[in-house]
Amino acid sequence: MKKSALHTILIALGAIVVLGGGVAVSVFSQDAAPQEAAPPEPQEVICFESRKGASEITQHEIQPGLLNVKCSPTTGAALWYGDPYEGTVPMGKMPLLESIPDDKAVVRPRSEKLNLLAMCGTACHNNTLPLASRVPPTLPKNNRPVPIPTMEGMLPEIANLQHGRGRIWCLDCHHTTKRNMLVDHFGDPISFDQPQLLCGKCHGDKLRDWRDGIHGKRIGEFASTGKKRWFVCTECHNPHDVQNGDRNRGFTQLQPELPPQLSHGMKDANYEKLHPIPH
Amino acid sequence: MNANETPPANPAKEPSSECLAPPASADPAAYPAASAPTTSRRSFLKAGGMLSLSSLMGAGALMTQSGEAHAAAEWAEHFQKNYRLMTAEEKDEARKRLERRYSREYEKPVTVDITGPQPGVLMGYALNVRKCIGCRRCVKACVAENNQSRGERPGERIEWIQVLRMERGEFSQDKMDHGYPEGLGIQVGGNAYTPAGQVLEGQYHYAPEAVPEKDATYMPIACMQCEKPPCVKVCPVRTTYREADGPVVIDYNWCIGCRMCMGACPYWARRINLTTPVLPKAEMNPVTHYLGNRPRMRGVVEKCHWCLQRTRQGRYPACVEVCPVGARKFGNLLDPNSEVSLILARKNVFRLKAELNTFPKFFYFYD
Repeated sequence: MKKSALHTILIALGAIVVLGGGVAVSVFSQDAAPQEAAPPEPQEVICFESRKGASEITQHEIQPGLLNVKCSPTTGAALWYGDPYEGTVPMGKMPLLESIPDDKAVVRPRSEKLNLLAMCGTACHNNTLPLASRVPPTLPKNNRPVPIPTMEGMLPEIANLQHGRGRIWCLDCHHTTKRNMLVDHFGDPISFDQPQLLCGKCHGDKLRDWRDGIHGKRIGEFASTGKKRWFVCTECHNPHDVQNGDRNRGFTQLQPELPPQLSHGMKDANYEKLHPIPH
Repeated sequence: MNANETPPANPAKEPSSECLAPPASADPAAYPAASAPTTSRRSFLKAGGMLSLSSLMGAGALMTQSGEAHAAAEWAEHFQKNYRLMTAEEKDEARKRLERRYSREYEKPVTVDITGPQPGVLMGYALNVRKCIGCRRCVKACVAENNQSRGERPGERIEWIQVLRMERGEFSQDKMDHGYPEGLGIQVGGNAYTPAGQVLEGQYHYAPEAVPEKDATYMPIACMQCEKPPCVKVCPVRTTYREADGPVVIDYNWCIGCRMCMGACPYWARRINLTTPVLPKAEMNPVTHYLGNRPRMRGVVEKCHWCLQRTRQGRYPACVEVCPVGARKFGNLLDPNSEVSLILARKNVFRLKAELNTFPKFFYFYD
């Protein structure tokens, strides 16, 4: 009841805003044909895909009565894909995956979601320092991780880095001078859109399974020659927080969807704990 | 009952012209004409029925009044053959009829696919039990895709996938004497007091704030699409059967709702629509398949069919696409490069209740 009232108010507000916009347009472009008041825009629904804070999809209709994605009203997670390839670009050539044509393997670019990425290379790590000290201002002398308040302010989970059990640090994965890139074994930069090239440095078994579709997730056509959208490592794993103690898997904890309807004779969900099924 | 007293076809109940003449004898052996007219009458009625059926169907196509067209459609539906016995034209007729009906009922263009099995495809499924976090997203994706009933009253909320939460077992010194049977100290991961492992004992209604829980492991169960399905063996009207590309499907029109298959299924995979399914128009998925997710009626059994409306067109099933951890894998078992074939070749795989010789095409694996 409350919800529907709120919804009505929102729709009414939206209508007012749209009407206002229409008035403004007619004031500023008088020679244009008189515009009809557009129907109020429905509220934008954005759902997260694998984990919260990674890739997201905005809901819209791709055909009359057919949505591109359905979101869970309980958790806000993407529950159903009408269009599995939305917002994707070709994955690019991967080692040992050269045989896949460009249009058959697509990914959603990660760099759009990483808000700070655009700033990293321009605001601070921009090589504008004097030539003698043309290294990032925070590069330590002794290869020991030093807490950097600026970084921790931007990304709280790196204060307690849960990856590598204390044996790796920032510049094992991030490029020393090109801070909006990752780094491979030879010191060459890797795009944030292709983190598998970085992660596979250590997790080779997982990379092999990912290449074959056993590890990780692909959506689209199931035939081995079909077009698939590949999910890259960081869409599911948070690389700064893969070993959190509250769980027993590499995946972050999330809110589950609602349980099924209680069976006949069950008063509450506790019933099945007290009356286990005979086997 | 004495067979001599009662002829096989009771003439008294059938007021046809032959019955007006009294039989010369009650003994069917002495009255050989009794059986022949009955069969001819039956075939006559059948022919008449088909004639009126076809004329009504033709009339239904011509008529503009929706009420009579509706009656014609109902008539046609009632006299429809078992899906496996229908010719291509009859299937197409049924498809068009259903598309019209659903489009009117749900007020949007609904398509009913009748694509058959594709050559060279045998569908298979694999699920990584180590990866599953029990978030139930597959359950809800299945509901969003497959037009299940989603009401609030008892029996109106139907979900095909169940996620079972099981306690983790442990081998420990202090439980050494608590094995089963009592005192023998045989530890089987859990024991009679703290069960664990694949005994399928656990909770379906768990609702923690966040999953995965540290002390739990999760096991989703749905239709295993057996190669030797017990449900198919028991179906009295043979409306459920194994399709050539693997999935076990149901022709909902021929289901009589006897629930024999529900009793026969060792995996609790089948659900019955005890009430008229509650399917809001806005939530209805308009892309359907005849043997798959088209809206069901009251009193029919339904179950997972590996999203036939998607997989016959090459798409992954809905549950595979939403699994946030990528635990669900789907592919063509006949293709050595498919995900499932590679899992079978490389990983530790088991089938649920393999001892029942149902030969599921749904494999659980771990790495």
